[in-house]
Amino acid sequence: MTDQFLYNNLNIYLFISVFLLCAGILGIAFRRTLIGMLISVELILNGAGLNFVALNRFLDPDNAYGVIFTLFIMGIAAAEAAIALGVILLIFRKFKHIEGDKLKEMKD
Amino acid sequence: MSFADLISSANAAASTIGAYIPDSIFIAIAAATIIGALVTVLARSLIYALMGLVTTMFGIAGLYIYLNSPFLAMMQILIYVGAITILIAFAIMLAGPMYKHPREWSGIIRFAASLIISSLSFIFLYKVLIRTDWIQGGVNEFGLTTKGIGRVLFDKLTFPFELISLLIVVAIMGAIMLALLSKEEK
Repeated sequence: MTDQFLYNNLNIYLFISVFLLCAGILGIAFRRTLIGMLISVELILNGAGLNFVALNRFLDPDNAYGVIFTLFIMGIAAAEAAIALGVILLIFRKFKHIEGDKLKEMKD
Repeated sequence: MSFADLISSANAAASTIGAYIPDSIFIAIAAATIIGALVTVLARSLIYALMGLVTTMFGIAGLYIYLNSPFLAMMQILIYVGAITILIAFAIMLAGPMYKHPREWSGIIRFAASLIISSLSFIFLYKVLIRTDWIQGGVNEFGLTTKGIGRVLFDKLTFPFELISLLIVVAIMGAIMLALLSKEEK
């Protein structure tokens, strides 16, 4: 799997995507506001997409399923961001804050 | 030394220099991605975190170009940098006075706990990644064109494609319904 060029190695892409995943986990665990957590979720989704494309390019270069799955992930991320931001705006109008710790009730 | 020898030696020198250029650009892109992710997670202000997210998105688009899929890189810039980032920026501006919460961080104990969790998972996944022997298949060149992506998308994966579009329509309707409901309560 090693080549003379660094960018032809599979492991470095997987390393970057693992780093993105763990940065997203860190952000979800200790961010206070819901928007910060949403940004961290976007990081995790990007790491997953990078993983799919790298594995597709190095392990199965004749098919395009990883690339297309990454396109699907992008669509799902857009839908998820729209819904989550609508919910966050509702929470802000109702409780006047968007801190995840202080949300103890879901209805009234 | 004849002229042809001079030319060939100059070409060899240029090729040895040129061999380092793609790798150095790649290292710069990967470093931008990693630093952007760190800024996204660790920045105190949400706007700075958003800027770090934009840096990470551009870095991942560059990595997609290195992975021989420029169409995906364009989609990454269009969808993530163009749409989702703007959406989050609007939410940051709409969801209130951020100057009331200058400290985005939680307490130091919680930070230490989450750092332990994420670094443990990082070490575990890194060990798995190092020890796995991936089986490389096919030729080394990807050679995937946009035409090929469209072919696969509409020949073999038509049903998931339609399901994704249905999902996006339902999500947009849900977001609109949430906004309308909150207006009625006022």
